[in-house]
Amino acid sequence: MFLQEAPAETFNYMAFGFIVILGTMGLYLLSLINRYRNLERDMELLDDLSAKAEPPVEKI
Amino acid sequence: MEPVPRNLRILSGITIALFAIALYMVFFYAPREAVMGDVQRVFYFHVAAGWVGFLAFFVTLSAGIVYLITRDRKWDRVAVASVEIGVVFIFINIVSGSIWARPIWNTWWTWDPRLVTATIMLLLYLAYLMLRQGIDDPDRRARFGSVYGIVAFVSVPITFLSIRIWRTIHPVVIGSGDPSGEGAFEMTPPMVQAFMFSLLTFTFIYMTLLWYRVRLGRLSEQVEERKMEMMSI
Repeated sequence: MFLQEAPAETFNYMAFGFIVILGTMGLYLLSLINRYRNLERDMELLDDLSAKAEPPVEKI
Repeated sequence: MEPVPRNLRILSGITIALFAIALYMVFFYAPREAVMGDVQRVFYFHVAAGWVGFLAFFVTLSAGIVYLITRDRKWDRVAVASVEIGVVFIFINIVSGSIWARPIWNTWWTWDPRLVTATIMLLLYLAYLMLRQGIDDPDRRARFGSVYGIVAFVSVPITFLSIRIWRTIHPVVIGSGDPSGEGAFEMTPPMVQAFMFSLLTFTFIYMTLLWYRVRLGRLSEQVEERKMEMMSI
């Protein structure tokens, strides 16, 4: 009755687990943001190239 | 720069708020488990991540079927977006489970039916993402993705039911399980509430990420189309 078992000391494993969970989610979110920005930059570049490639309008 | 739609901004705000509450419930509201100690708290997000994976692959199945019927490529965008998110969350599910298992089962890994089937499922959907990259034609890629996504979904119910069909040490959370399961525990009401809230929160996280990822896919297609136009000039 006096020898009550305490919970196991597993705080470090909990911390490790949450670092992995939150870290992976964070990395994925960052990758989405990064990929989106890269595509926007590509689109701007293509718009610029497209504008330069158009023949100039002749003045009558 | 295409502005973020108002509804998506609202959804993002709700998701962030839910996530903050879920973290509070997991760390402070739910009590410390009597035998396993603090590592049991990983369970709330471990199961929620698994749920998101299953949901994501089901959405891929559905989007694949709709694409094959309608041939509208927006459904292919939804399918691939969902697979990507599903892969990330099943990875989280497997690794967090391994971290939980180390102090409880005294091993990082065991050839248990649940672990094996979950890993096979993860590899199947990773292959989906890799094989798509090798197909240039967008319509062929979409057709391949749809069929693959439909067939690969077989792995999902097998993974889910594995702990009920085969002898396993993986604990069963809902319902009675194999008596040889190690790490099972009785959930007190605060634990149940934290668990259900985590499931809800992760569902919102999935919906938010899916919307962002579909927008990314649409922009990617627009860039590809613009490149094709430039090459034809």
